[in-house]
Amino acid sequence: MLAIDVRQLRKQFNVQKNREGLKGAMLDLFKREHTQVTAVKDISFQIPQGEICGYIGENGAGKSTTIKMLTGILVPTSGHIEVNGYVPFRDREKFVQGIGVVFGQRSQLWWDIGVIESFRLLRKVYRVSEDDFKRRLDELVETLTLGELLNRPVRKLSLGQRMRCELAAALLHNPSILFLDEPTIGLDVVVKTEIREFLKRLNREHGTTILLTTHDLQDIEALCSRVIMLDDGRIIYDGGLEELKARWGKGREVQFQFNDPIAIERLAFLTGGLDVRWSKENELTAKVWIPLEINVSDVLSRVVGTTDISDIKIFETSTEEIVREIYRTGSAETAADRIADPVRDEEAPTAQAEAVRS
Amino acid sequence: MISAYLEFIRIRFLMMLAYRVNYYSGIIIYAINIGAYYFMWKAIYGEAETLAGFTVIQMTTYVAVSWMARAFYFNNLDREISNDIRDGSVAVQMTRPYSYLMVKMMQGFGEGLFRLLLFMVPGMVIVTLIFPVTLPTDPVRWIIFFVMIWFSFLINSQLNILTGLFAFFVENNEGLMRMKRVTVDLLSGVVVPIAFFPEWARIVLQWLPFQAITYLPGSVFTGRLNGAETWNALLVQVVWFAVLILPILAMWRAARQRLFVQGG
Amino acid sequence: MRMRYTFELFREYLGNYIKTKLTYRADFWVEVVSDLMFSLMNLIFIFIVFQHTPSLGDWSEAEVVFVYGYFMIAQGVFSCFTNLWNFGDRYIIKGEMDRVLTRPAHSLAQVMLENVDPPSLIGSLVGLGIMGAAWAKLGLTFNWYDPIVLIVMVIGSVLIYTGLYTTLAAISFYSDSPTGIIPLMYNIQSYGRYPIQIYNKGIRFLLTWVLPFAFVGVYPASFFLERHADRTMAWLTPVVGLIVGAIGLIVWNRGVKRYRGAGS
Repeated sequence: MLAIDVRQLRKQFNVQKNREGLKGAMLDLFKREHTQVTAVKDISFQIPQGEICGYIGENGAGKSTTIKMLTGILVPTSGHIEVNGYVPFRDREKFVQGIGVVFGQRSQLWWDIGVIESFRLLRKVYRVSEDDFKRRLDELVETLTLGELLNRPVRKLSLGQRMRCELAAALLHNPSILFLDEPTIGLDVVVKTEIREFLKRLNREHGTTILLTTHDLQDIEALCSRVIMLDDGRIIYDGGLEELKARWGKGREVQFQFNDPIAIERLAFLTGGLDVRWSKENELTAKVWIPLEINVSDVLSRVVGTTDISDIKIFETSTEEIVREIYRTGSAETAADRIADPVRDEEAPTAQAEAVRS
Repeated sequence: MISAYLEFIRIRFLMMLAYRVNYYSGIIIYAINIGAYYFMWKAIYGEAETLAGFTVIQMTTYVAVSWMARAFYFNNLDREISNDIRDGSVAVQMTRPYSYLMVKMMQGFGEGLFRLLLFMVPGMVIVTLIFPVTLPTDPVRWIIFFVMIWFSFLINSQLNILTGLFAFFVENNEGLMRMKRVTVDLLSGVVVPIAFFPEWARIVLQWLPFQAITYLPGSVFTGRLNGAETWNALLVQVVWFAVLILPILAMWRAARQRLFVQGG
Repeated sequence: MRMRYTFELFREYLGNYIKTKLTYRADFWVEVVSDLMFSLMNLIFIFIVFQHTPSLGDWSEAEVVFVYGYFMIAQGVFSCFTNLWNFGDRYIIKGEMDRVLTRPAHSLAQVMLENVDPPSLIGSLVGLGIMGAAWAKLGLTFNWYDPIVLIVMVIGSVLIYTGLYTTLAAISFYSDSPTGIIPLMYNIQSYGRYPIQIYNKGIRFLLTWVLPFAFVGVYPASFFLERHADRTMAWLTPVVGLIVGAIGLIVWNRGVKRYRGAGS
């Protein structure tokens, strides 16, 4: 069964135009001008139950707008949307009973009183029975190690502690879908890892579907089997993380540290016939870029035997670089063409990317 | 440096223009205020010709001009400052190469200027058409009046800054701000001219800064103060302006001390 | 079912309010005191006015004070439940409305409950005391049904306030700039507590049918004042309350719809 089913979803906003300068402001006082902005442009995707899906894109790409439509906050301009079997905006109050939402930058807890008080209130809001609440709370306290935090006021918690409490607050009513908007923003590495572990466990043990937006691609690498990439309101990639890497990770880089100064021409001569690119870092260090088609070992074998090497480092293209590269290559259309079309030809089951053109 | 401050005035002026719901509703609400007070005073006068030395016409003029002056001097600097303090942005402001309090003053002035030009001037025209008010004919009186409401603005803003800075020292100065607002409206003479207060209260009020905000400029405008008394009233304003600088500086210094110790 | 759910939520929110306030005990008292100061200032105005005139449009001092006592009761109950002063700033600009909309309860109920302010009820008690004192001074007869009528009238008045201020708060859904209308409205609401007869037709119409503040003061209170009893207008209070309350709810719901991008 599908947890989220979105087809041809579109959202337009009227944005006020502020005319410049004093004269413009005076004119605005009497007649406002509006421009229409399409934040989400006819996107379609399906997320089956139990999947962890990463939703990425630059600021203003339409991530938040989509999340807000999926959680029933915003009503779409057009298109079909179904989450958990509900149309979110239509039966909002019934629908939200089955979802959990965490906005990383905003708290849903009462600032001045103990965390547990907020939890009790949420129990009432979501009409959770006392028994269920107890069982659920015990479990969350254990998995998120909230023990001694429960009675502290929220304002006295560190950001990491607060985020753990926010997660617990969003899960008290045992939702089957969890929406996370920037859940690890501003957290240190240790806490980030803890939260990722927790989410994985939640997904494994309860089968909770998780959709998260993030700027931290390590979140994606650690958690997501699937990534949806958004640019300018359109989906430019939808598929597995591995495919993304395979298709866009164009090569690897190997760095050599030599014991004696060596000329770059000599290195190029050694690897003659192979389509690699050498660059010199300093007297004793050089880097070679190797495209995917060529085996790293081929290059190594040619260099290692004939020179005196003290150290070798291999760099794989990180997801972050890939993503940066995708955005850098310009318009969404070309990027979509390049990624999505081959995927469709192969009819890869997890990748349902569509190059949407308007 | 000066041009930076002027920029703050300009920006706030433009900001005010952007809030057009406020603008339209503001005009209507000020008109209703003046109207309601006009009729209330008419009922209070009943058959009487003068009360506490005010003729009916003087009273009407006083009500109109004091509300209009209020449009100019009124601002929410207290709330802005205490918000800045509570969300910590005041610490950021202190790292900038200007005086935070001066910037606030300038922003308040931009706001006042907006209301003066787009509120007070058209409002005054409408009021003179509807209600029996008499405007002074002597140009000197007009000039003095404008100088005086400039000081009204300064003194009122100083009181607002003082109230706002309290946020450094108490967890929540909401109540204090509300109290200040009511006090200024009542004791400055917008609601009732100070001449109507009982003898003992008048004596007390003479020693407080509030009268300098509305009552003194209003009295000059309505012609109740003349000649030397006018200059006297202006002098009272100047003195209060100077005196109020001291507690502000003291509080600001203490506040910064506190900020350094507690780290915002 | 739904009522019970909301009521239970109210208890829960109230509990959290009390726990919050217990952590800032000093603030609690500052708020109570500033509330009472506010009322005191308004009473002072009445006393000052009656030093200069024996009656305000045929109403005696005790009668005007009586109306003010009634007004305080309604005002206190209203402020306890409908505390929407910073709605636009907190929920729209800072975005807390998103959180509210991800919860399974009506958005207005949530926003109202999140801002309950029980200290305002102390104002109601003081108002009841003032009303009682004026009652005795005027030597009004006391009928067995008077307390019931009072409760019905107060509910009607509170509904009017709630409806009006909900409507005003809902403007924030339409305008993305901060609106300062609510504090301005605060000035106008006070005119409903003076004898409506003193105003001219326009303002009377305004206070009765457009911004029906007269139903939060002079009309319902007149029921108990034998000399000025206007039964028709008094009994219209609960009716107008229901209408204005319904309008408020409708406007709010439409505003939410627009916020979510469904309305025009």
